[in-house]
Amino acid sequence: MRVSRTILAVAVAVAAAGTAGRLAARLADDRFDHWQHRRVFPTCQGCHAGTQDSTRSIWPSTADCENCHDGTVEKKVTWSPPARSRPSNLRFSHLKHAEEAAERLPADSVVCRSCHIAERAAWMRVRRTEVRQCLDCHDVRTVHLAAPDSACGTCHLTLAEARALPKERVGQFPAPPSHREPGFDERHGKLAAPERAGQGMPVAISRSCATCHARDFCITCHVNAPEVPVIQALAPDPRSLAIKAELEAPSSHAVLDFIERHGRSAAREPGKCATCHTQESCLTCHTAQPTVAVAMHPAGSGRGPGASVDRRRPASHGDDFTERHAPVASTAPRKCSACHARADCLDCHRPSAASAAGYHPAGFLARHPASAYTRETSCAECHNTGAFCADCHRQSGLSARGVLQAGFHDAKRGFLLGHGPAARQSLESCVSCHAERDCLTCHSALGGRRFNPHGPGFDAERLRKRNPQMCSACHGAAIPSP
Amino acid sequence: MIRRGSPAALSIVLSCLASTMVSAQGYRIQLDTRFQAVAFRGVTPDSIPTGSAVVGTGGGFETPDGFAVACPPGASFCSYFRPGPRLTSVPLVSTADVTVWGLGVRGLSFRGNARWGVDLEDDDRWPGTQPALQLLEGYAEYATPGITGRLGRQHITGRLGWTGVDGAALTVRLPSLGLELSGYGGWGLARGLDVPINSPALNPLDDFQLQERHLTAGAVFGWRSRWADLRAEYRREVDPSVDFFISERTALTAVLRPAERLTLTGGAEYDLAQGWWGTSDLFLQYVDARLYADAGVRRYRPYFELWTIWGAFSPVPYTSIQGSIAVSPVGPLRIRAGGERYWYSESGAETALDSFEDRGWRTWASATATVNRSLTVEGGYRAEFGPGASSRTWDGRVTWVPTPSLTVAAFGSRFTRPLELRFNDVRVNAAGVDAALRASDRLQLAVTAAQYFEDRRRPDAGAFDWNQFRLHARVTWVFGSDADHLRLPPAIRGARRRVAR
Repeated sequence: MRVSRTILAVAVAVAAAGTAGRLAARLADDRFDHWQHRRVFPTCQGCHAGTQDSTRSIWPSTADCENCHDGTVEKKVTWSPPARSRPSNLRFSHLKHAEEAAERLPADSVVCRSCHIAERAAWMRVRRTEVRQCLDCHDVRTVHLAAPDSACGTCHLTLAEARALPKERVGQFPAPPSHREPGFDERHGKLAAPERAGQGMPVAISRSCATCHARDFCITCHVNAPEVPVIQALAPDPRSLAIKAELEAPSSHAVLDFIERHGRSAAREPGKCATCHTQESCLTCHTAQPTVAVAMHPAGSGRGPGASVDRRRPASHGDDFTERHAPVASTAPRKCSACHARADCLDCHRPSAASAAGYHPAGFLARHPASAYTRETSCAECHNTGAFCADCHRQSGLSARGVLQAGFHDAKRGFLLGHGPAARQSLESCVSCHAERDCLTCHSALGGRRFNPHGPGFDAERLRKRNPQMCSACHGAAIPSP
Repeated sequence: MIRRGSPAALSIVLSCLASTMVSAQGYRIQLDTRFQAVAFRGVTPDSIPTGSAVVGTGGGFETPDGFAVACPPGASFCSYFRPGPRLTSVPLVSTADVTVWGLGVRGLSFRGNARWGVDLEDDDRWPGTQPALQLLEGYAEYATPGITGRLGRQHITGRLGWTGVDGAALTVRLPSLGLELSGYGGWGLARGLDVPINSPALNPLDDFQLQERHLTAGAVFGWRSRWADLRAEYRREVDPSVDFFISERTALTAVLRPAERLTLTGGAEYDLAQGWWGTSDLFLQYVDARLYADAGVRRYRPYFELWTIWGAFSPVPYTSIQGSIAVSPVGPLRIRAGGERYWYSESGAETALDSFEDRGWRTWASATATVNRSLTVEGGYRAEFGPGASSRTWDGRVTWVPTPSLTVAAFGSRFTRPLELRFNDVRVNAAGVDAALRASDRLQLAVTAAQYFEDRRRPDAGAFDWNQFRLHARVTWVFGSDADHLRLPPAIRGARRRVAR
């Protein structure tokens, strides 16, 4: 029982959908049921006299319908001709079309049924004109929206001319396939100005662009709009903003080394950058006004807001650039100053106590032994060993405090006596917990166990000449001669 | 802990800047305030009488409550380390960075960078809050295309390191030949911190310290061309109280561009006082539209000033070969990888008592996928093994940019770190969020919050768990006369002609 009901419901739904679909299609084709009246009207002009006579209306009057639909002969209908024609950007006029066809083509080669009744269809099987038919007659061998620039004006007004067209309809304009092709953003400027303007002549603007767009639309992106004759040749029209455009970075900006190379490109063709970028764009990254920015426009009215720029690391600043930047920074500091202020350098080279992750990753406190023991980089370059390392280690109980506390290096049983190799390898780490007196307990010529701390490469005479005070720390006044 | 001289110098510089700003045509000020709430936990040394130590389950001695102890032969006490107390710290640091120019003399400007820090927990446990007032830079500069002169506290930068000097520097340039010659001199500042070398802040271990400030002098020769940049440096530091050297070093740096996409960088330091080569490196870098690659060799040797004894302990260098690569196989994906292999020179101190790692490696790989204009996903792995410590880290980050001015990110990591010299393996899992808001061109705000779950492992009672919540916030406010942003013509000259052409 339940299955039967379901089948019935589905059948009803399908039937309803089919009926509605047919009705909708029919209404789209012909809102007046011409077929029903096929025996009543032998010609089109009986009702649509205006198609051939400029003094008559293109629509029948209410009274014309009431000749039959008076409530006695036929049931009454309510219909009145539209007060004004439907807003459109078509420049089509039945009368003019007929006149021009009559001038150029054999008589009766273009009649009402040529456009409104399909080939081989019966009389009064009326339909709305299809765009394909216009294109075929006018010898346009492409799909509608790919028609050549010269063809658009045959049927369409420019957006600015189509004053009655509401903004909502403009927003629903379909995008031509060309707009979806890769590289369209870069090419569209050339497409917009297909003909070169003659000296002193107005700039030729693509008809196909002007059909859907106006100057306001161009200004959503173009910073240099006031300087581009093609844009200025377009009429202003705020309805054009109903078409939303999103500025995508050109493919040239996606390559890895774009940041390194953009300065040279900008110097070579500054006008090209000024299409989308304001002076403020440059200042997103550059700390001072670069020379090339002279060729850019400051943001202002009549100009687009400019492309939004994200500050990011150049490709040359590879993952380990923070460790490797010294040669470049010291030999060419002005290159760094293009994007970095002095405060940026101080941020790392003189870190504050309240600095969070930056140069070091988050949680570096737990990680730092692995990097520090073998000095992945020089810690002392930015951290004073005494004020930073030793102070924190002291707070953490990791300092000898005058007494050597055996047992801290408990993973090596003989550490105290065999620590030499580890100490020479990571002496900076030792110093971050131990004071000189800890080592002098054993490594002094004046007392203790007198273990010699000098190893490979030790040049006693050279050191003594420069600072004998270092020698006297262990040897007292009796510094031995080499 | 605050030296009397520092606030005085700071006051003088700030007063000069304030008075000059009144008449200056241009100025730029960046005020930056940051704070973070952090916690850390170390160890507490302790001892027991030797007779109280008991034999533990592993056969070694330990305290009755299970802490492994070290009992030196013949000593009456055994020492050990208990887990330390949880230490919290809330450092707050404000930095003012000021540049003033347009004072009636073309090329004359003043610059200052001063920092004030305090630990809101009032214990100054976190390093860097002492001295409370620090003047990082404060100098007057006179610059023309051919000459730059500076007077005041300034940093001298180069391969020999960032060093602060209270003194004067003069640079003469011959732009047509690409030549540059600099000389500088004055009272030196400590390494890594802009305080005098005799500041108590540098001596937490109550070690030997110089009693007077040292003198620093040096010279730099530079040459630039389209194909190469060269820079030679010499620096000497002297203790004026005894007229002995603190350091005497020289260095050479070169950047060569043999082909359009190739860069060769390298340099070396030579310690004239020790008579040995210091840190040196040579790297070749290649960058094209889809590929970044570099490879090179590096040698690291620590440098100690001669007023300490450490240089006489003959620290040995290590040499490494390393390389890294970054590719963008498809537009939104970027993959990076790299590695380093290093080994120490012979230390000359090997004994049969213990052996230590004398070589190691590091490797890393990461990937960034830009899902769309507002969403980026990153992940990475890093592992290192070597003397002292090893580690292995996985981390990931998702960054969302809902508007150009707002960035929100969630991150997480998993980390393990065994030590070579102490039983104290660590496992840390962390997760957090951060957000950065560019409220205006002038004002930026950032906040980071993260929870760390830390598990320190030892085979005795010294193991402990330590979880903590960390919070960091930052406010940066930049304001000024905008005089550094040139007033330019409103349109491109000749643009119309170019477009119509």
